[in-house]
Amino acid sequence: MAAVLDVTPENAWTALWRRLQQDRVGAVSLGIVVAYLVMILFAGAGFLAGGWSREVGVPYANPAFIGERLNLEGVLRKRAEHKGVAPDLSAVDPLAPKYAEWERRTGELKMSEPERSMTLPWGGDRWGRDVLDKAIKGSQVSIAVGVTAALCATLIGTLLGAFAGFYGRWVNDFLEWLYNVFTSIPPILLIFSLAAVLRSGVFAHLFASGIWMVVIILAATGWTGMYRLVRAEYMKHRSREYVLAAQAIGASSASRMFVHILPNVSHVILVQLSLLVVAFIKVEVILSFLGLGVPVDMVSWGTMLSEAQTELVIGKWWQLAAATAFMAVFLTAFSMLTDSLRDALDPKLR
Amino acid sequence: MSVLVRVANLRVSFVTRQTRVEAVRGVSFDVRHDATLALVGESGSGKTVSAMSILRLLPENAIVDPASRIDYGGENLLAAPGARLRALRGREISAVFQEPMSSLNPVLTVGEQVAEVLRLHRRMAPRQALERAAELLAEVGIPEPRARLRAYPHELSGGQQQRVMIAMAIANEPKLLIADEPTTALDVTVQRQVLELIARLRERHRMSVLFISHDLGLVGEIADDVVVMREGEVRESGPTQRIFNAPRDPYTRALLACRPRLDTRPRRLPVIDDFMRGAAAPGAPLERPPAGANLVEAKGLRKEFRLRTGWFSSKSLVAVREVSFGVTRGRTVGLVGESGSGKTTVALLVMRLLEASGGEARLEDTDLLRLSGAQMMAFRRRIQIVFQNPYASLNPRMSIGRTLTEPMRIHRLGADEGERIERARRLLQRVGLPQDAMHRYPHEFSGGQRQRIAIARALAVEPEVLICDEPVSALDVSVQATVLNLLLDLQEERGLAYLFISHDLAVVKYMSDEVLVMREGEVVERGAPEAIYRAPQHEYTRKLLAAIPRGLEGRKFGDGALTSSGTQP
Amino acid sequence: MVPTLAGVILLVFLLFKFFGGDPAQILAGQVASQEQIDAIRRELGLDRPWYTQLGIFVREILSFDFGKSWMTREQVSAIFLTRLPATLTITIPILLLEAALAIPTAMLVAYYRGTLLDRTVMAICVAAMSISFLVYIIVGQYVLGFLLGWFPVQGWSDDFWRNLLTYAPLPILLAALVGLAPQTRLYRSFFLDETKNDYVRTARAKGLSEPAILRKHVLRNALVPVVTNVSLLVPGVFVGSFLLEIFFSIPGLGREIYLAVNRSDYPVIQAVTIYLSVLTMFINLAADVLYTFVDPRIQLR
Repeated sequence: MAAVLDVTPENAWTALWRRLQQDRVGAVSLGIVVAYLVMILFAGAGFLAGGWSREVGVPYANPAFIGERLNLEGVLRKRAEHKGVAPDLSAVDPLAPKYAEWERRTGELKMSEPERSMTLPWGGDRWGRDVLDKAIKGSQVSIAVGVTAALCATLIGTLLGAFAGFYGRWVNDFLEWLYNVFTSIPPILLIFSLAAVLRSGVFAHLFASGIWMVVIILAATGWTGMYRLVRAEYMKHRSREYVLAAQAIGASSASRMFVHILPNVSHVILVQLSLLVVAFIKVEVILSFLGLGVPVDMVSWGTMLSEAQTELVIGKWWQLAAATAFMAVFLTAFSMLTDSLRDALDPKLR
Repeated sequence: MSVLVRVANLRVSFVTRQTRVEAVRGVSFDVRHDATLALVGESGSGKTVSAMSILRLLPENAIVDPASRIDYGGENLLAAPGARLRALRGREISAVFQEPMSSLNPVLTVGEQVAEVLRLHRRMAPRQALERAAELLAEVGIPEPRARLRAYPHELSGGQQQRVMIAMAIANEPKLLIADEPTTALDVTVQRQVLELIARLRERHRMSVLFISHDLGLVGEIADDVVVMREGEVRESGPTQRIFNAPRDPYTRALLACRPRLDTRPRRLPVIDDFMRGAAAPGAPLERPPAGANLVEAKGLRKEFRLRTGWFSSKSLVAVREVSFGVTRGRTVGLVGESGSGKTTVALLVMRLLEASGGEARLEDTDLLRLSGAQMMAFRRRIQIVFQNPYASLNPRMSIGRTLTEPMRIHRLGADEGERIERARRLLQRVGLPQDAMHRYPHEFSGGQRQRIAIARALAVEPEVLICDEPVSALDVSVQATVLNLLLDLQEERGLAYLFISHDLAVVKYMSDEVLVMREGEVVERGAPEAIYRAPQHEYTRKLLAAIPRGLEGRKFGDGALTSSGTQP
Repeated sequence: MVPTLAGVILLVFLLFKFFGGDPAQILAGQVASQEQIDAIRRELGLDRPWYTQLGIFVREILSFDFGKSWMTREQVSAIFLTRLPATLTITIPILLLEAALAIPTAMLVAYYRGTLLDRTVMAICVAAMSISFLVYIIVGQYVLGFLLGWFPVQGWSDDFWRNLLTYAPLPILLAALVGLAPQTRLYRSFFLDETKNDYVRTARAKGLSEPAILRKHVLRNALVPVVTNVSLLVPGVFVGSFLLEIFFSIPGLGREIYLAVNRSDYPVIQAVTIYLSVLTMFINLAADVLYTFVDPRIQLR
């Protein structure tokens, strides 16, 4: 067919941007993902949902859109705040005067505990913490874990894959052996083993807070997919003529690997990275649910879901809904974005 | 003779997300009964799309103009319902494609695939169909047809795979066979056999053949009528004799003229532009510097590959066996052979892109094969290489400017970056490319332009020796001439020594001062190009020469029947 | 296979030895005296050099004797064998159901590729995959088990058939439904990749209809990546979906491992890891053999 030559100089990335813009679904997904990123940046800096762990509502506070319907626990707690005059039970209970004494004394202490509200925007959890704040903070934690772990796994997998694919022979043999070792162990077992030793082991105190334990577990389990992909790409490219030409003009091995081949493989890596982010977030949620993920002083979508299970039975559904909604919207948008990215980068569709 | 298929005013466009490209723009031609019509053109001419429109075998994003018509047996095929077309396909009109390996289903046996088309259209019982399939395989010349029924496609050679495709196509005695470049992917000697097969079958079954090709030499030998296409339009059409002897259209004349001929060696090959401007002249014969001291000398080159076949066992494959040659400044040594002959391996050995198993390759007095990596760096300046595939030899993610300045930077040529950019610009100018190419990327250029960029890159370090590994094989005929002329000019200007490798004997003969014929890793014959051409000694050389399509001269009789000996007129 | 096994053993050993806690302390508990801890050390052989310990480890593996679980004092091998049936009762039906549903769904979608139906189904799949498995289980258990009472919310019995027909259906159903979306997407991509090949064009040129092409040509070729995919899932059958086992109180291997992690019961975790790795290697070997039947281009080395 007649050739259509581009008039403006354009490299792969500007072409990508242009094609992405034309894809409506991709553009909307990008918008949603960016909105989330802004939200978690604010949350991370403390401007948003900073006080998520404060118990600002009554236990199981209803969401604002439901109003103050029956909330037994909440009502009880509220009543506990406003102490009316207690009936005189001294005839029955010898300690009653003492109770009255203690009540009077504690009432004198000025507690600056603010009054707890009966309803919160999206309801409260068992301790009266704001579910909306938790959802926002949880988004930050879960997404941060997913992205960090994906980046680590990508770094490991890309480096190892590049060396194995480019050099071949004994380097390849050794790395293939390593790959086989890691993939022979069922992933869940590897995760559990790592979780077991990192929690109770020598470095337990290092991982007592922060997300690094989960990140390490995820990266150590998830690098293998990226390795396989990058190795296959490097094997394909190393005998391509442009690499031979680079060798012919005297380019070094490092130059050939990272200056010549890597830019040609980067689009594949990018798509795989996005897939890893989604997969890792989902695994983190499950790990946190089981108590093997983020530490107890942090909130993630997984910890919210673990509370939600018991809440559902007594009819409190809003924490489940919040966590699910925030997670589903983000992952759907991110997955759609990845699909659009893959289509936009596909040379055959150019 | 009456008309079998009439294509009238065919217009086909392709729609992608951003653009709509018109591939075929108002093409009309007739396919006569019991005759061969050739559609000739270069890549992008629309010949394949035009032919495939007859069977509506087009990609999903193709749009055919409703005003187009393709008449067959009194009906317009373009308007026919899908069921009607499916009834025709494989029964009255069949197709054979270019790449036989990928066109056959890899997980089904050959017998199953041939029998399928019989069972589909003739409702044959399975056993009966397999019987008939065996007969068909025998007819197309597959040895041991019964045993072959159970073979899988990857177990057959390229030529045999194509024969299987042909067997599938003629199984139901079609009236028209559409052959889309059926021999382009095959070696020259095999090509000859397949063409003869098609001609024999055509005669025996009295069918018409619509033959698509870019090779005018081929077309001249086998076609009764020719349609010359360029960029979606018909430039000229008519009987073969007339087209070849008295072409009217300048493009046709250009196509006929710009292939290197076997009998003359003009100083410059005429290019399309010369003809389009009407300024063509054959030119004086080429003058070459005399032979002298060898700049590059290879002795006993040898390469053996070890393939691991199990944990402890391995098999060895000798790709290059005892190859020796010498190249002088300003002259060219040509290496010709088919695929698997080892000619490209020789190039990689000399360039140290592959480690040799034995022998030596001397540049002046130094044996390149014994140098360490660091020592080799100095010599990488003096000997460079241009690869075959212009679409693969440039890094798609590197701008042209960077591609050209990188070798200079590595070898510390030019005082600073500014000077290197200047040199790069001058190189671009020398190879005939615009200055603004510096900022652009390979995908913005055509095959011929990319090859010129590759040549510029090779010249960036100012080498003394240039190895050209099939530099024009992936290019259209009209573009080949430009690149060959450029190479000759550069050789004359700079006194470069060339090692020129190709499977195309005509091109090698044109470019070289000495020709080596290779087969399965060995040099079977060597000598001056004229001597090789006029009096080939080795049987293989003779076979190679006989297989080359000669155009009109190759026809023994006016009706296009081929002979197998192909003796010179 | 042997070098890989050696690597796995080495990895597990090193992981637990150098990163794990002191087994003696864990075993002794919180309120043990130093003598008690030392005594346990000697019993476990922890006072010997590390390579001797490695040797002991290897011997234990080869003789299938990992000793007792630190917590329940049950033989580790016994734990393995008693928990496996429950796991398999759940996971094998899930695997079969998933594959059986995904292939026709993917073929259907591949046939209608590019149409609105295709895009809608794919969008639904993406959305479905964005909801955590946990949510499906929680909601499924609540609605189908608790509210509607169609299935028992939890439980297990000693009778195989009662398990299969009463207790297993809800977890199997949930898992198969959740697995349907990603499998469909994956298999669809396999089919679509195949339809881009040249042999499909040849089949069209022969006059075959699109459904016939999908059935006779594409499916056969797409089986190759499908077999790859299923063979990767088979090892997972043995570990089981521990989530299902935890939620539904099914006494399977997955739940057992989770409990072991919670109480830092190293022997159990180590043993299960090693044995399942061996099993995975055997399954991979079997898959390689299976390939030679599915793809005639592959030959056994």
